[in-house]
Amino acid sequence: MNLRRHLPHYLMIAPFMILFAAFFLYPILSGLYYSFHAWNGVKTPEFIGLANYQKIATSRDFATAMRNLLTYVAITVPLGILVALGLALLVDNFTGRWANFFRNAYFLPVVLPAFLAATIWRWIYAPNFGLLNMMLGWFGIPSVNFLNDTGTMLYALVAVDVWVSAGFNMVIILAGLKNIPVELYEAARLDGASKRQQIVHITIPMLGPVLFFVVTYGLISAMQVFDKPWLLTGSSFTTYGGRRNALLFPVMDMMGRAFGGVRFGEAAAYGFILTLSIVALTAALFALRQWRGWR
Amino acid sequence: MGTLNTLRSGVAGLVALAALGSAGSAAAEDVTLQYWVYSDFAQGDALALQQEFIKEFTAKHPGVTIEIVGKGDDDLTAGQVAGAASGQLPDVFMNAQSVGAQLVDVGALDNLYSKWMAMPETFRAQFDADALKGCMPKPDELYCLPYTGFGSLLFRNLTVLEKAGIDAKTPPATWDAWFAQMKKVKEAGMYAIPDDTLVFNSVAEIYATSGGNDSWGFDWANRKTRIDPAIMTKVLQKFVDMKGLNSSTSRNDQATKDLFISNQLAFHNIGPWVNPTYEEAAKASGLKYDFVLIPGDTAGKTGGIRSYEMIGVAPGKHADLAFEFATYITEKNQMARWAKLLSRYNANAAAMADPEVSALPLIKVSVEAAHGAMDVAAPYFIGSVPSCYNSTVTDVAAATADGEYTPEAGAKEMIAQLNDCLAK
Repeated sequence: MNLRRHLPHYLMIAPFMILFAAFFLYPILSGLYYSFHAWNGVKTPEFIGLANYQKIATSRDFATAMRNLLTYVAITVPLGILVALGLALLVDNFTGRWANFFRNAYFLPVVLPAFLAATIWRWIYAPNFGLLNMMLGWFGIPSVNFLNDTGTMLYALVAVDVWVSAGFNMVIILAGLKNIPVELYEAARLDGASKRQQIVHITIPMLGPVLFFVVTYGLISAMQVFDKPWLLTGSSFTTYGGRRNALLFPVMDMMGRAFGGVRFGEAAAYGFILTLSIVALTAALFALRQWRGWR
Repeated sequence: MGTLNTLRSGVAGLVALAALGSAGSAAAEDVTLQYWVYSDFAQGDALALQQEFIKEFTAKHPGVTIEIVGKGDDDLTAGQVAGAASGQLPDVFMNAQSVGAQLVDVGALDNLYSKWMAMPETFRAQFDADALKGCMPKPDELYCLPYTGFGSLLFRNLTVLEKAGIDAKTPPATWDAWFAQMKKVKEAGMYAIPDDTLVFNSVAEIYATSGGNDSWGFDWANRKTRIDPAIMTKVLQKFVDMKGLNSSTSRNDQATKDLFISNQLAFHNIGPWVNPTYEEAAKASGLKYDFVLIPGDTAGKTGGIRSYEMIGVAPGKHADLAFEFATYITEKNQMARWAKLLSRYNANAAAMADPEVSALPLIKVSVEAAHGAMDVAAPYFIGSVPSCYNSTVTDVAAATADGEYTPEAGAKEMIAQLNDCLAK
């Protein structure tokens, strides 16, 4: 009886549920299944329990990739948001044509294909000929090979990532800024609050939900970093990670195991370790939000 | 009885007619072969020649269409592995012999041995014996037809050498002579060589100046590296010595080519594929360069590596036709036309010996280089090389050059890590 009454509702959500099951649930469950098997993508999978997980957890490359990732996330997420917040506050002061110009100019890197962005930055970073080294040369600073020096490689990547992500974050923060009631600023001005005090005590707190979104989104994106370091270091399935693996990240390591070594079961286990890490970090962020009472 | 026999003959005749009819319709059936090639073979003059080969082959095979698709190195491997999993493999395709074991493992490569043995001896004798051996992990298994290949060369910028006061007329015959020239180049304010610790093949190239095939590659039976610690110690010492002389760019970077073209880099040790770029620069900006063999530790020994690309055939209902096409494009006449067009070495020894081909300067040196060089990662088709292998070699070489290990400790550490990587 109930089924008959709710049939139209079930029919309405059916397309989504079918697509969800086919393209999300099934791949996840099959990935989980394969992660407990030795499987090359073709032959019958052989059950090996947790051996894939154990192999990954004890591998030197996994340790390197995780260390690189944590350093990268710790720098790139806060820096990216700070830059975006600064840009948003600046662009918010403009109106009309100028506002549109800056919004589009800063958003342009977001729509640029990763390959193009990497090509541009490889040229900027090129030793001797690169734009950056040319500029350093004006001050008598010797040429630096940013993408092959283990001391600079990670920061070179962070700069590219901030350049790409700042525009996206800026647009989100700008939308948040527009939603802050102007009365709050008027009242603060009447009370003699400086511009800095207005930003610290009105803008930042009122941007709380927006900043939480960009932090969460930034964290999830950064945890999955792949295309930019892959392209910047000219990687392939057998050579990746750059000099001394300074730009080796988990997704690259996973891809190498899948296509370089044709070990899809191991790659599936890697994917699950990475997914669980992302879920755990995101959950921690939500718990922190709850605990601190952020809106 | 006679009636029965007549009836039997009649039925047999009808069956035979039916069989002939069905055979005829099978032959007339339209077949499309998917042919995957390296992306640089799917553009410009190379593509035009490939299309000519296809036209010639299909003219003799009515109803057959061949679709040529260009793909990057990684896309070829990923596409073939994914294709094997989904049952949508290209019928005939190129790839490097070094990924052969992976492709065999996923069932992407047909064992061509019986088809190969059915070919005339004159055809089989055309191929380079080493290249062919690379396709055969066991006496009755043949997983590819050897195709193109390379032996690495030493490209020399003659302007840089002249500025550094080096007589370029006689190429350096030994490592010591070469290293002395590198130091002179650096003293003159230019770069000697790219950073050879950045790419596995570069490390292999320098290893080949001291060692060779007998102490390189894999002992698959015991899952151990065959690298000799004493030779690797010597090689790592070379990287320490070269540390201050190199351009800190990899041999594959565009920046390295730019440094060479702009007369800031003396030596570029790499395969012959950079020659078109340098040839163009010679015409456009007056670059003066040549290519010689990479000198080894003693006179007469050459360094450098060689590797072969292959043509593979997928198992399946079109395997026979695909094999026929593969034999057509790897046959002497086609390979000679290919070599003449691109001035590129290939694994058809008969084509390489063709007077018109062997007279080409790049081919001449390439043939010598390939014969004296070390295989990149042989033996092929036995087992998949784990990615940790290549990264361990480059990482420890770079760490030793950076001073983290002494050459002796670096060699010991590298071998321990490589054995550990192969054992897993």
